Amino acid sequence: MADEHGATGAVLVVGGGISGLTAALEAAEVGNDVFLVEKSPSLGGRVAQLNKYFPKLCPPSCGLEINFRRIRDNRRIRTYTMTTVQSVTGGPGNYEVKLNVAPRYVNSNCTACGDCAAACPDSMDNEFNFGLDASKAIYLPHPMAFPRRYVVNKEKLSADGAKAITAACKYAAIDLEMKAETLTINVASIVWATGWTPYDAHKMDNLKFGQSPAIITNMMMERLASPSGPTDGKILRPGDNKAISSIGFVQCAGSRDENHLEFCSHICCMATFKQMSYVREQYPDAEIYVFYIDLRTPGKYEKFRASRMADSKAKFIKGKVADVTLEDDGGVTLIAENAVTMEKISQKVDLAVLATGMQPNAALEPMPVALKQDANGFLLSEADKGYYAAGCAKKAADVVTCAQSSTAAALKALQVSRR
Amino acid sequence: MNVQPDLEFIRELKTAGGDTLKKCFQCATCSVACPLSTESKPFPRKEMIWASWGLKDQLVTDPDVFLCHQCGDCTEKCPRGAKPGETLGAIRAYAYQQFAWPKGLAKLTTSQKNLPILIGLPAVVILVMWILSALVPGTSGLHIPSVEAFAEHGYQQFFGDWSVMFKWYGKNIFFIALIMGVSALIAIISCWMGVTRMWKAMIANAEIVANYRPSLCQFVGRFLWPSLLETLQHKRFKECKTNSDRVSGHLPLVLAFIGLFLATCWSLIKNDILGLIWPSLHGPLAFFDPIKLIANVSAIAMLYGVWILWKNRRKMEAEGRASNTFYDWFLIWEIAAVGVTGLLAELLRWGGQPLLGYFVYYLHLVTVMMLFLYMPYTKFAHIVYRTVAMCFEKYRTSSFVR
Repeated sequence: MADEHGATGAVLVVGGGISGLTAALEAAEVGNDVFLVEKSPSLGGRVAQLNKYFPKLCPPSCGLEINFRRIRDNRRIRTYTMTTVQSVTGGPGNYEVKLNVAPRYVNSNCTACGDCAAACPDSMDNEFNFGLDASKAIYLPHPMAFPRRYVVNKEKLSADGAKAITAACKYAAIDLEMKAETLTINVASIVWATGWTPYDAHKMDNLKFGQSPAIITNMMMERLASPSGPTDGKILRPGDNKAISSIGFVQCAGSRDENHLEFCSHICCMATFKQMSYVREQYPDAEIYVFYIDLRTPGKYEKFRASRMADSKAKFIKGKVADVTLEDDGGVTLIAENAVTMEKISQKVDLAVLATGMQPNAALEPMPVALKQDANGFLLSEADKGYYAAGCAKKAADVVTCAQSSTAAALKALQVSRR
Repeated sequence: MNVQPDLEFIRELKTAGGDTLKKCFQCATCSVACPLSTESKPFPRKEMIWASWGLKDQLVTDPDVFLCHQCGDCTEKCPRGAKPGETLGAIRAYAYQQFAWPKGLAKLTTSQKNLPILIGLPAVVILVMWILSALVPGTSGLHIPSVEAFAEHGYQQFFGDWSVMFKWYGKNIFFIALIMGVSALIAIISCWMGVTRMWKAMIANAEIVANYRPSLCQFVGRFLWPSLLETLQHKRFKECKTNSDRVSGHLPLVLAFIGLFLATCWSLIKNDILGLIWPSLHGPLAFFDPIKLIANVSAIAMLYGVWILWKNRRKMEAEGRASNTFYDWFLIWEIAAVGVTGLLAELLRWGGQPLLGYFVYYLHLVTVMMLFLYMPYTKFAHIVYRTVAMCFEKYRTSSFVR
């Protein structure tokens, strides 16, 4: 891929979520070479975990499927899953990047038939479903996983399990001796699309997350409502699988809070409005309570807000939930002051959803090279280095905005490649 | 529309610790975090927006402002660092000024710049009285006693003695009563005027129409006494979670003040009333006299309490949970000064050091006078204003109110 001067025009995209996919495709489809690197075993990132996108409420499989297809058809993109960036040396236009490919223990013979998982005696928390159910120690990350190949969590695999899964595989696809590999690639510029993680709800001790299964996060709600989720899409209270008759949405759970995330994540109000429609679809009579500081539905989303607020069985309470008590029947009581009526409210609900914010991954884990970050850990683009931030690594945003910022990042990265 | 913002109000709140007020975005976390906030009338969220809007008349007539014990639970949970607890403290400081009489004296106590006058005023008054004692018949106070005289009389002849002429009333007591009695009287009148102004304003603001007026007995029995009991047990204070150790400082302090009040009363009765009949009762109390024991234990409790509060305040300020304000520190300094000079004067009496003893005793008189004189306008005023607000809270929900 190097030209006669030894320089390369390739773009490295770090992160295979919706932002990384977009940046990689935009760069490749104008004829550039792209390396797409993803830490987890499959592409799609947080979007793959969603039940529906807002505001059109279509499933993410739709958008992801198109993108996966574009990637499959494009010879200019090389994807590396289970891969992390180890080091970056050189300068813009001529970076040497060392990649570390973790062992998947499953080779390309895998047809995703699932016989191995059926035979596997070892199970573990299903991380994709936020621990709401269990998966086997050899697993397909999720039904839409791309690449569509199983992966082994060797730490959770017993000796018996190893024997069982190896015996079950008809295609000799399981190789438990697989070692980590190091690759060296040359690129001109790097798009950092390292994404986000839901803010750890355990940190808000007053909201009692983890002390009752009736308190879940908004991302857990996505999995609960998803047809591929732990309950096949039925919204049931975790723990006792009770059908709910009331639900409380706790907005700004750890957001706009100096003690937690001091910024507004921009999407949680919309996510709650979206999840109200999941609830309403399954429970026409359920009482819905939304506790908020401000309802932020910028621009065109205002209409979406208005339609949800027209719901006669939904109550909107201007006041942040600042305390939660656990009830004997498995429900929880949310306590807030209604700033409009000046009364303290204790509302008992069957299920409470904490609208947690987006924390940039760059704030949570060390980056392979020193990257400029703002006070909250969001990445800043460094044009002089050929580093461009995209998607939620750059700022908390919805999918549309991520796609836009990723396209922008790709365009800027190309300008370094073609300098 | 011509809007005239009340800059003075905002400026005063800022100097008294409300500088973070404008950060509030009305999420109402504070009203839930507050252990004293009630279901039907939660605070301090509403006070925060009233203060933002400059609704000062609304604020100074709001009993909730005074019911707040500034425990800091709201400030701890505040997502914006708006420090509602500190802001409410600042609103109280403002309210004391609004209800104060005489206004000039009250105004003097609001700024550290006036500290030389605040100390100087009692210092000069007491010095002048000491000099004046030479002009009044009898032994002059204007001297340092011999070691023997000091051992016998202690500080009881600081302003001299005329027992040869008037056996029935000590010259020293005459002067002390003149200084402290007048200071206390000014404070009592000022407090009375302040709380009656507040009470009337609260009645008007709450639009209370009373069927009957409670008699004095009813008022004391149904409103005042329960409030005092609650205060004595620190019931509300103990609800605080974040700064629970403030109780361990405040409670000894309250008990110390009560102990010292009782000891002073006894001393007054013993010297001024019983002393008329049995002149031998004049003179300092023996160390093992029960009243003296109470006084000494109280003095130590006072120093211990103020030390804990001093330390807590320091820590809170270092952690950014409280603002460094003259309003808060002046009371801590005052009480510490009263305690230190009082105990030191006693130690010097035991040590037989008349010169140093008299000097420290003089400082003690100055600090005690400051405590009396400035009580209605400084943070100390909370003892009357909060008590009255607690009475009002009970009154408002009583059968007297329709």
